[in-house]
Amino acid sequence: MLTERKPKNIFTQGAIDPSFIATSIQKHNEKTNIGGHSIFLGQVRADVINDNKVKAIEYTAYEEMALEKMHQIREDIFAKYPLVCMHVHHSLGKIAAGEICLFVFTSSQHRKAAIDACTETVERIKAELPIWGKEIFEDENYQWKENK
Amino acid sequence: MPVNVIVFGQLTDIMGNRPFTVDDVADTSQLVQRLNERYPALVTAPYIIAVDKQIVNGNTVLTGDNTVALLPPFAGG
Repeated sequence: MLTERKPKNIFTQGAIDPSFIATSIQKHNEKTNIGGHSIFLGQVRADVINDNKVKAIEYTAYEEMALEKMHQIREDIFAKYPLVCMHVHHSLGKIAAGEICLFVFTSSQHRKAAIDACTETVERIKAELPIWGKEIFEDENYQWKENK
Repeated sequence: MPVNVIVFGQLTDIMGNRPFTVDDVADTSQLVQRLNERYPALVTAPYIIAVDKQIVNGNTVLTGDNTVALLPPFAGG
């Protein structure tokens, strides 16, 4: 079975459309050696800070470096877990509260590899990819997002 | 040797969005010192440094035509 280990772009301008996610799931119909998928979806949260509500996050990245790093993460994850495939999409630009900004999708013959690989990939994306988020409030003020 | 400097995230509040060039710097310590003089707010800002997309620890010699990126804490996802 082919795995997808070539360096590839993970960035999408704007939010990740739920229909894109559905299509992505559908495309795996033909990969009948898969027995389990694991999906993580990151959604922009409308945090309230000092009575000011976050209405959007504007994402920026050091794209070239992020893609190199993501390639390395992908290689590590494929070396560690028996995955059939893995797909990662991260938004850039302004994403409104309630919209999807991160989509990580792992598939394997048996569930555990897919679940563990998905979790580890999400953690590594948050810790290691040079991406920043400007949290824009309803009154147009902003603060820089901090990952917890 | 001139180096290209790019900054991201909260550092753009201090240094702006545009890449710029700094002349005659031999290593990253000298570059940081120079930038601190120009942007005093940088002194207390948290960031790590990447030279040509590789994160470096400690002082790193710049061989010329390097791109030095100042990277505040990552916040993807």
